[in-house]
This record gives sequence, structure tokens and C-alpha cells, in this order.
Amino acid sequence: MDINITNLVKKYHHKTVVDIDHTQFRSATIYGVTGDNGAGKTTLLKIIAGLERYDAGEILYNGNPLEQGMMKKITYLSQTPYLMRTSVYENIVYPLKIRNIDPMIIQNKAKNIMEELQITELKDQLATQLSGGESQKVALARALVFDPEVLLLDEPTASIDPATIDTIEEAITKRNKLQKMTVIMISHNMDQVKRMCHEIVYMKKGKQINIKE
Amino acid sequence: MSKKIFVLVAILLVISAWTYTKLNAEPESIILSTTTSTQDSGLLDFILPEFTEETGIEVKVVAVGTGKALQMGRDGEADVLLVHAKSSEIEFVEEGHGAERFDVMYNDFILVGPEALGYDNIGDTLKGIMDNELVFVSRGDDSGTHKKELSIWEANGITPEGDWYKSAGKGMGDVLQMANEFEGYTLTDRATYLSMKDSLDLEIVYEADALLLNEYGVIAVDPNKNETINNDGANEFIEWILSAETQEMIGTFGKDLYGQPLFFPNAK
Amino acid sequence: MELLREGLKEALLLLIRFDKEVYSIIGLSIGLSFTSTVFSAFIGIPLGLYLGVKPFKFKKAFTRTIYTMMSLPPVVIGLLVALFLSRSGPLGTLGLLFTPTAMVIAQMILITPIILGITYNDAKQYGPAISQIGITLGASKFQTLKLLITEMRITLLIALVTGFGRAISEVGAVMIVGGNIKGHTRVMTTYIAMNNSMGNYAMAISMGIVLLLISFIVNTVLYRYVAGE
Repeated sequence: MDINITNLVKKYHHKTVVDIDHTQFRSATIYGVTGDNGAGKTTLLKIIAGLERYDAGEILYNGNPLEQGMMKKITYLSQTPYLMRTSVYENIVYPLKIRNIDPMIIQNKAKNIMEELQITELKDQLATQLSGGESQKVALARALVFDPEVLLLDEPTASIDPATIDTIEEAITKRNKLQKMTVIMISHNMDQVKRMCHEIVYMKKGKQINIKE
Repeated sequence: MSKKIFVLVAILLVISAWTYTKLNAEPESIILSTTTSTQDSGLLDFILPEFTEETGIEVKVVAVGTGKALQMGRDGEADVLLVHAKSSEIEFVEEGHGAERFDVMYNDFILVGPEALGYDNIGDTLKGIMDNELVFVSRGDDSGTHKKELSIWEANGITPEGDWYKSAGKGMGDVLQMANEFEGYTLTDRATYLSMKDSLDLEIVYEADALLLNEYGVIAVDPNKNETINNDGANEFIEWILSAETQEMIGTFGKDLYGQPLFFPNAK
Repeated sequence: MELLREGLKEALLLLIRFDKEVYSIIGLSIGLSFTSTVFSAFIGIPLGLYLGVKPFKFKKAFTRTIYTMMSLPPVVIGLLVALFLSRSGPLGTLGLLFTPTAMVIAQMILITPIILGITYNDAKQYGPAISQIGITLGASKFQTLKLLITEMRITLLIALVTGFGRAISEVGAVMIVGGNIKGHTRVMTTYIAMNNSMGNYAMAISMGIVLLLISFIVNTVLYRYVAGE
């Protein structure tokens, strides 16, 4: 999906937190968003995800404004994603169930993504009792299982072991290539950004400067 | 899991609704406001079923302090009153809150305590209690009993004051318990004392004095107060309680349990 | 001690004998408290969830208000309700004083803030995260609501059980608005109070034991459910 942002302004208690003249996020591209704390990175992602309102400007998704159908193709993963008080399996299949997908397909897709992220053995465990790395993988599996066109990530691998980081990065990169998923990822890990990202968006005090890769 | 919960809630909702409609499908009734001591004596549980059987009218007994019972009459909250505060009742009728007051029955008040003081009149007995600073528990609630107690102190020229005089602000049963706990004295109607005697360590230390008569009266509340007063029912009740059969029934109450009747019928 | 033993004996006898009066008193207590709890839940839970999740101005002040309302003195509520429902009061024509309906009304005023407060407190904490997950996974508004309720099911159960417990053990308000009328508005608590003031300690204690038993059973069910999660 292509996302076009024009003259976006968001204020919070009279303070401008996001102020972007023009920027574009294209499909099949991985964007790394960096900047100091408080630069507006998380707010920007949340606005794109439809979780926060903005005060001025326009965001077009494949040329159209945001509505429910479009929102179902966008997903946002916060730094500490909320996992439902049920099994890992039920967490992962939730987005498929609410889309009334065929049960056989649900089973299949769940099996595949659990294998890909190496969490099959966690299938029946209570999702709220997992370690940091395991939780992150489950949250990612849940976010990717319904094949979103836009993936917004807020520091997905902060404080996670290297092996898990690899698995996660692979899953993201694969979909970006094969399904042309747009990826916008906040990260403070410059090595990771260099590894994965096609373009870097640097934000400072709500404004952004693109640095092409 | 959620399906089971849903079913459970639905079932309980149905039970509640059923209980609710059952309770609200009521026959004709009257609200009788009376005192806690009258209810606690058990007399009403004994005689009222007869009334309901004869007339089909249910009697909803609200037992409160004398003050509130009379106030309920003034406010039109009750249909008929059965209390024992004769002077207040007469005032009630004179003020136009009820058409007429009728004598129903009487019993007497007695002075109870841990042991007798040995005087032959109530004045000296009370003086004895005060001088020795023995605990005396007063109803303190403007009830008929309380008013009677105050009138007796006054008639003997004594003003009870001090730590030994405890104003409870509670019903007769509670006050007797208190007197029991404090090993003190109190004025009580004979009926309540007899019905609680087994759980108390108090004995009768003074009785049978003209000053100590406790007279009960019944009054129908003035129907003009509001639209919901059941005046016909009230009058049927009065007619019934003054009837010869009911009066006789009243006179038998308590004989088998306590060896003496708790009330003496005196309807005219 | 002798009294307690006698009360215990009396309690067993009472229950085994299927004494009609006693069972109707117990049934009325449970029925009324359950009704109040359900109605209060219909008001308190949706409101609690909505207010917990939605950001709004003066939320802090509101939070404090709710917490205060959760401990309203029951006897004062009873007094106010009685004044409103009495024949000489504004709602007198409804003839509700000294009826079970009045008792349900008083109980509802008491426990709706409790149910609302417990729901609101957890919804404030976890609600935003839960609804965020709903949105980001593509759930509709209704689906997000369902998710909220499912995720907060333990909190909601605690709210209901707490509300029910408060309703069934309350004595001041139901005494004033109900009048403890035999066969109509006499519940376990008013029965206990009455028997105590009559000196019938065994009866009071026996009913007290039944009340404790009900409380124990309800709480055990809650515990089982929570522990099973």
C-alpha cells in the first residue's frame, strides 16, 4: 500500500508534536524511523494506524482517506504489545476469526506462521506467561497472520536476544519482498536499521528529514 | 464458557422475575404501624392470622418506635395505628389525624434489675438507684415506655442525671439486653420482659402500681390525607380487634408459655 | 460459646426442617440481591467500561467521585429513598414504600457505584491497551467491545460478586425502606436484627450462619473461577 502524507500537524496540549510537510511511504519498502525521544515517532505511527487523531493535513492510503475497510489492512505493534488472556494459539488466530475466515484456512495459516517464527511448541501456553522474546514473536505472528499491507512497528526488538531478533527480522523482510508489505519501523538499533531498511526517516521535534539509503 | 454463563444468568433472571411478580400480586392489605415492643411480644403473630382469614385482608405490620408510629399516622404512611402512648394518642385525634381512639388492652410496666432494693414505693426505689449511682437504662426514644418512665421520675420530683443514667435510644428488647449487660435497672412492659426472661439475669424489683399502667389504643388514620389510605380496611381491623372473640383471644395469649397472660383486654 | 453452639444446632434444624418462613426469607434475600446486582450490572458495567477506556476531561476528579460513591452509607441511602417513596413524598403515588421494589431500588443505588467503580478502575488501566489491540487487529466496534469484556472477565466477575455480597449483607437501608414486614419484606439481615433485639439469640445466630454460608459459597465459586484461569 502507498501512503501519502501532506501538511500533517498534531498538537498535544498546545505543543506541536508532529509537523510534516510531505512524505510518502511506498509498498515493498522498509522504512526505518529514528530520532531522539519525544521527536514524535510513536505519535506519527499511531496517527498512520488510525489510533490517534490529527489536527491538520491529509493522509491518503492508495489515494483514499482512512476508513474501516482500509484499517483492516493496517496493523500496529507497540513496544509492549497486549496479549490476550488465552492460549498463544487463540491469540494468533483472533484476527482471522473476526474476519470470518474458513476454519481450515485458519488452522493452516496459524500452523505456518508459528513454524516460521519458531513458536509452535508454545501453542497451548497461556500467552500472558511468556518471556519477553516469546511474547514479541507471538504478537508479531498475530499481527502478520492476516497478511496486512502495512506493518507499523515500535521498537520491535528492543531488549530481545539476538537469535529471536534474527527470526523476527526475517519474517518481516520476507513479507516485504513477497507480499509488497509496507513496513514502517521505529528503531534505535542503527545496525538493524542499516541491515533492513531501504530508507531512513529521521525525526526531530516533530519534523522529518528523509535520508535515502 | 461464556455460553454457560449466559444460560445461568438467563435462568437466574427468570427466577428473579418470577419471585418479583409473585410478590407484587398482592391481595388487599392494610399497613398497621405499631411499636417494636408490641411486635416483639408475639401477640400480633398470634392474632393477626385470624383477621386475614376472616376478612381476606393482609396486615402489613411495620414495627417502629412510638414516635415514628405516630408520625407515620400523621404523614398518612399507615392505615391504622396500634400504640401505647395514651396522651399522645389523644393529642393525635384532637389534631385531626384520626377520627377516634379506642381502648384495646393494657398491661403494666415493671421495674426490673439485678436485685430488689427493699422499698415499698417507687419514689424511694428510684431515689435509691440514683443515690447509689446504680445503672439505669432509659429507652431515650420518645416512646410510650420512655414517656412513662420520665413521668414517674417527674412525679417523684427527681431529675435523673449522671453517668449511671444511660439513654439508649433503642427498642425495649435492646434496652433490656443493655440493662442485663450493665447489671442495671430499667422500666419495661411486662410482656417484653416475660418473653425475654430466659435470656436475662434480671428480676422484677417493683410492680403493681397505679402509675405503671400501660394502655394500648387503636386509631384509624384520617383517609383525607392521601389517596392510598385504606380506610375501609382500617375500620374492619378496628371492628375486629374490639370484637368479643378477638378480645378473648388477646386475653389468652402467653398463658401457656409464661403462666400468665401478657395483655388484659379492655375494649368497651 | 454456649449460644454459638445452640445457634449452630438451631441453624441445622431450621434448614433440615424446611421451615417455610425461614426458606422464604432466605429466598427473598437471594432473589432481591440478585435482581439488584443484575440491574446494577446493566448500568455499571457498560458505563464503567466506556468511561475507563475513553479519555475525557476531569477524569481524575471523576475517579475520586466514583470511589467516594462506592462507600455511601447504606442507612443514609435508605432514609433518602424512604423519604422519596413515602406517601407524602414526591413519588408517593407509586405506593412503593415497604415493598420489595423499594428494597431493590435502595440496593441498586448502593451497589451500582461499586460495580461501576471496580469495572472502571480496571478499564482505566487495561482498557486502552485492549481496545488498541482490537483496532490494530481489525476488529469492528462491536468486536472490540466483546474483546474488552472477554479480557476483563475476571474483573467483571469480581464486580458482580462484590456487588451481590454488599446487597445481601446490607441491613440499614432495607430495614427503613422495607419495614421488615413478615412475609413481604423480611430478609435475612432484618430477621437477624429483629431476633437479636427480641433476645432470640439462637434464631439470630442460625440465620447469621446461613448468611455466612451463602457468602462463603459465592466467594468460593469466584475463587475457583479465578484460580482456574
